[in-house]
Amino acid sequence: MKKTLLYIFLISLTVYACKKDDDVPAIDPDAQVFTLQVPRGFPYPSVPADNRPTNYRVRLGKQLFNDPILSRDSTISCASCHKENMKFTDGLPFSEGIAGRHAARNSPSILNIAYQPYLFWDGGNPTVEQQVLGPIGNPNEMDFDANLVVERLKRNPDYVFKFMQAYGKEPSVYTLTRAIANYERTLFTGTSKYDRYMYDHDSTALNASEKNGMTLFFNEIGDCFHCHVDYNFTDYSFQNNGLYVNYPDSGRARITLKASDVGKFKVPTLRNVELTAPYMHDGSMATLEQVIDHYASGGQAHPNKSNVVRPRPLTAQDKTDLVNFLKALTDL
Amino acid sequence: MKKNIYYFILILVTITTVSSCKKDTETPASTEETLSFHLHRNVGTADGIYDSLYQTASGRKFNITDYRFYISNIVLIKGDGSLYPLTGKVILAGPSAMEYELQKVPVGNYKGFTFMMGLDSITNHSDPTTFGAGSPLAVQTPSIHWDWNSGYIFFKVEGKVDTTAAANGSADFDYLYHIGMDDLKRTIDFSTNAFSVVSGSPHELHIEFDLLEALSNVDMRTENMTHTMDNFPLATKIADNWQAAWSAE
Ligand code: HEC
Ligand code: HEC
Repeated sequence: MKKTLLYIFLISLTVYACKKDDDVPAIDPDAQVFTLQVPRGFPYPSVPADNRPTNYRVRLGKQLFNDPILSRDSTISCASCHKENMKFTDGLPFSEGIAGRHAARNSPSILNIAYQPYLFWDGGNPTVEQQVLGPIGNPNEMDFDANLVVERLKRNPDYVFKFMQAYGKEPSVYTLTRAIANYERTLFTGTSKYDRYMYDHDSTALNASEKNGMTLFFNEIGDCFHCHVDYNFTDYSFQNNGLYVNYPDSGRARITLKASDVGKFKVPTLRNVELTAPYMHDGSMATLEQVIDHYASGGQAHPNKSNVVRPRPLTAQDKTDLVNFLKALTDL
Repeated sequence: MKKNIYYFILILVTITTVSSCKKDTETPASTEETLSFHLHRNVGTADGIYDSLYQTASGRKFNITDYRFYISNIVLIKGDGSLYPLTGKVILAGPSAMEYELQKVPVGNYKGFTFMMGLDSITNHSDPTTFGAGSPLAVQTPSIHWDWNSGYIFFKVEGKVDTTAAANGSADFDYLYHIGMDDLKRTIDFSTNAFSVVSGSPHELHIEFDLLEALSNVDMRTENMTHTMDNFPLATKIADNWQAAWSAE
């Protein structure tokens, strides 16, 4: 009997020595993985196995997202350019970063980011986690360094405590990028009049003008659905929609170096577009009317322009209806 | 008897648990020995030291504030011609070290070695946030990774250069050579640099890289900026010089 006990003791010791030290006790509800609240009609997004959502993680990520500690001079947070009350955009053609400098492009909304297969207008960044490094290191945005952000966080007992709660680990580049991405993946949009009509089958949710706009949007006359499609109004492809004859920003070609990709940008979502002016990668269009006039005209000649972007016989009423439909994509 | 079986099972479980814990890097010491690179990052014949002043072959002054590069996919060529890859080994050559321990390798004669300057495409597109702070592939300070065209910068050299036409001014204009992207990795050939590894004395391979040679056909006055994608011809020109810039010490 004594011998048996000794063996059991020895085995537990060995097993214990083998255990990884990142296991956290799983009793606290805020540490439990929860199911994302996805808008109806939307699929469940894929979430990395090492970064499933918990309340601790989301709360920590949200705090970091809103904290200027991430920038060199502690003036700029992620929220400076992705403002919650502006549907996570900033209303500027080119976002303003540290010391009055300007980002090279227009700040996109990060709502429904969980569905984006790659990040940035040119798709140059592969994951929501890795994207966090972009603005931190960008000299025009936060002009800082992820390792130095981590040093700051480690000196802050409140943050150290929250990182331990969230990941069972100290602040590190790994946990910093995980936490912010974890929060971002909880940001959804999908409660517009259009969703009422479409997914709740409420035929009165859209008025006559909006319905006509919707018809044009999804038929060959307006032809918007070729690119702006499905629940997030994008197929995430790279397209040249004929903004310029000469593109100052080469877009996708910056990543691929292919001449055939010049002027191609990731098709943006159109959800809440009423509230996210100005438009396009360079914020060059101030109003939705301008955008519709652009598509009606067929845009500028460019060898890479999609052949779906071509002059369209839209009446003044059609144009108004299209704009009204776009406005029906605003969250209620 | 029953009791004996019980103990037997317990012993078995103990052994399995203990052995599953064992690191798998332990090997008999007598047949293997440690191999290292002793690596110099030179400018001409001098060590590349940050903030010292150097001159190009044509007498143009410049300094360096960053001078780092990645080495990976090191392959030893054994005496019988078979290949001995040092799988997974990545070096970030920089100012903090000249000695880069590779790993234990079998003692014996080697015909030479090759390595990649840069990273293979899988490593190049791995997530830098997942590597521990000590890893050469972790996020570095200053950064040596592109977040906007996700991948590592294989070769990063920055500083200031004199851009006056007569090369009689001072080094005060920023220059920047960031070379990366899968297409610009290069295999460096030391396949005829024979060496022997003997038991009991760690072996060092002495190699050096000369920045002047890497920039030999680059006019630093006019060709002073590439992030690779924004000036691919210049980046390619520099990458094509890497082999010639290497020599055995
Ligand atoms: C100075 C303004 C600025 C700051 C600060 C900023 N961003 Fe952005 N953000 C932008 C701009 C501009 C883009 C588009 C960049 C591009 O496409 O090249 C962008 C793009 C993104 C995207 C990709 C969206 C998509 O659909 O591809 C995400 C996600 C994002 N930012 C999250 C963040 C996070 C997280 C932070 C804080 C760590 C942050 N941003 C800080 C301006 C900013
Ligand atoms: C060939 C694909 C394609 C078609 C067809 C298309 N778009 Fe676009 N759309 C894009 C791309 C790509 C962009 C971003 C272009 C850029 O920034 O350079 C864009 C941008 C927009 C924007 C600005 C969004 C923002 O947040 O900046 C709006 C609004 C828009 N499109 C509406 C429409 C409407 C309405 C139609 C139909 C009349 C339409 N689009 C047809 C590809 C397309």
